[in-house]
Amino acid sequence: MINAIKQRLFEILEGSVHDRSSRACEIFIATLVVANVAAIILESVQWMHDAYHEAFELFDLVSVMLFSAEYVLRVWTYGVKYSKEDGGAWRGRKEYIFSFYGYIDFFGTMPFYAQLLFPGLDLRVLRIFRLLRIFKLSRYNSALQDLFDAIKAERDSFTSAMFLLLISCLLCSSLIYIAEGHLQPEVFPSIPATMKWYILTIISGWGNVDPVSIFGTILVILTQVLAIALAAILTGVVATAYTTQVERREALYEMQIREALADGVVTDEEAAQLEALRLQFGMSEEQVENIARQVREENAKGAAMANKAGASGAASY
Amino acid sequence: MKRVVMRILDGTARNGWSKAVEWMITLVVLTNCAAVVIDSVPEIHAEFGDWFHEFEFWSVMFFSVEYVLRAWSFGARYSKEEGGAWRGRKEYMFSFFGLIDFFATAPHYLHALFPYLDLRVLRVLRLLRILKLSNYNTALQDLFSAVNSERKAFASALFLLLIATIVSASLMYFAEGHHQPEVFGSIPHCIYWAIITITSGYGNVEPVTAGGQFIALITGFLGVCMAAIMTGIVASAFSNQMSRKRAAFGQQLRAALADGVVSDAERELLGKLQRQYRLSDDTVNSMLEEVKKELGHGA
Repeated sequence: MINAIKQRLFEILEGSVHDRSSRACEIFIATLVVANVAAIILESVQWMHDAYHEAFELFDLVSVMLFSAEYVLRVWTYGVKYSKEDGGAWRGRKEYIFSFYGYIDFFGTMPFYAQLLFPGLDLRVLRIFRLLRIFKLSRYNSALQDLFDAIKAERDSFTSAMFLLLISCLLCSSLIYIAEGHLQPEVFPSIPATMKWYILTIISGWGNVDPVSIFGTILVILTQVLAIALAAILTGVVATAYTTQVERREALYEMQIREALADGVVTDEEAAQLEALRLQFGMSEEQVENIARQVREENAKGAAMANKAGASGAASY
Repeated sequence: MKRVVMRILDGTARNGWSKAVEWMITLVVLTNCAAVVIDSVPEIHAEFGDWFHEFEFWSVMFFSVEYVLRAWSFGARYSKEEGGAWRGRKEYMFSFFGLIDFFATAPHYLHALFPYLDLRVLRVLRLLRILKLSNYNTALQDLFSAVNSERKAFASALFLLLIATIVSASLMYFAEGHHQPEVFGSIPHCIYWAIITITSGYGNVEPVTAGGQFIALITGFLGVCMAAIMTGIVASAFSNQMSRKRAAFGQQLRAALADGVVSDAERELLGKLQRQYRLSDDTVNSMLEEVKKELGHGA
C-alpha cells in the first residue's frame, strides 16, 4: 500500500507520467515559485515593505512550509527509482539530494530555518538564496538544460574565444598604456587600469575615453574592430552549437519514428513514447509532422518498389 | 635522447613527461604575464620592484633553456639524407612559435648589453610570451582555420566597412566641419568618429545640424548591419568546418565498418580522430547509427 503511494507520488513529482495530477502539481509549484519571486522583488520596495510587512512574512512562511513538504516528499519518494538489486532506496535518494535540483530545493528553503535557529544573527544576506527558487522552474523547461548542453558541446570553442580575448586584452592594453600612459595618466596610470578600460571598450563598444596620440588612435580603432569580431565569434559558436544540437535531435527523433513505423502500424504505446520524446526535445508539431511525412513517403516508396518487383516477378512466371 | 627531448617538447609523445612540461611552461607563462601587468602599477613597482626583477631574471633563464633545448632537439626531426640536423632547426627557428620564443626572450639580453634601451618596449615583448600558450590550444587553431577558409567573405566585409567609414566620414565633414571644427575639422578626424559610431552604435560626438544627425543615424544603422554580416560569416564558417569534420569522420567510420567488425586499431584511430575533431560522444553515436543503418540497407 505504502509502496503504491510512494510510486504514484514519484510519478507525479517527477512528471514521468503525463497525466492530470502531475500536470496540476507542476502548475501549482510553478505558480508558487513565480509568486515567491514576485514577492521578493516587491518586498524590496520600501513603502511596500512598510505597508504589507506581515502579509509578506506570512506568505514566505506558507511557501517555506510547502517547499519543505515538497523536498521531504521528493527525498522520500525518490527511493523507488531503483529496485533493491540496483542499489536500493538510498541510491535514488542520494542521487536526488546531490543533483542540481536537489541543491536548489535545499538551499532555496534552508535559509529560513537558519533564521529560526539563530534569531539574533543578521542573516539578511542569506535571503538572496530565496531567489534560487526560480531555478525550480527550469525543471519543467528544457531550455536552460539545452543552453548548458550546447555550451558544453562547444566548450573548446568558447575557451579559445576567451583565450583570444585574453591575448588581445594583454597585448592591446599594454600597447595603449605605452602609447597613452604618459599623455593621460589619470585614465591609463597602469596596465591593470588600462585593461579595465579595454574590457569596457570590448563589451560596450566605446570606453568613454578618446586617445590623444596617433598611435593610440590606431590602437583604439583596432580594439573596436576586434570587439565586433569577438562578438561575432561568440555568436557564431553559439549559433553553430544550437544548430548541431537541433540536427542531432531530429536525427534521434527520426530514428524513433522509423522504428515505430517499421511494422506499418503505430501502437498507442509508441505514439505516447513519441509524444514524450517530442515534448522533451521541445520540437514543434509541425517539425514532427514533416519528419513523419518524410519517413512515411520513404516507406511507401519502398513498399511500392517491393510490390512492383513482386508483380514483375509474377508476370515473368 | 635528442629524439626523446623533441617528442616531449613537441607534445607528440603524449605521456606524463610531455604533459608535465606543457603544464610547467603554461604556469611560468601565466605568472610572467601577471607579473608584467602587476609590475606596471607604480605603487607596487616601488615596493616589490626588486622582487619582480629577480623573477624576470629566472624566467628568462627558464625560457632560454627551453629555446636552446628546442633548437637543439629539433635537429632530430630530419635524417641526414633529408637535410640533416640544421633543416629541422631552421624550420623551428623561423616558424611562428620559434620567432615568438626568440623575441619573447632575446631582448632581455639586448637590454643587458645596452642598458639605456626603452624599457617599455621590452615589457610588451615580454607579454608576447602569452602567445606561447596558443601552441597547446587546438581549438584556437580550429578557429583560425575556420576564419581562414572564409577569408574572402571577411575581406569583402572589411572592404564594406572601409567604404562605409569613408563615405560617412566625408559626408559628416561636409555637414559638420564648419560647426564643430574641433572634432570634425578634417576627414581623418571624421574617420575616427565614423569608426567609433559604426562599431559601438553611438559616437563620441553628437552632431548639431539636421544633416549631420541624419548621417549619424545612417552610420549607426550601418554598424548594426556590419555586426550582422560579420556574425553571419563566422557562424557559417563554423558550421562549414563542423560539417567538413563530420564528413571526414563519417568516411573513416564507413571504412572502419565496411568489413563488419571494428578492430582495436580502428577503434583507436577513430578515438584519436574524435579527439582531434572535438566531436561530442552524442554526435559520434548518432553518426554510428546512421552508418550502421546505411550498411544494413546495402546488405
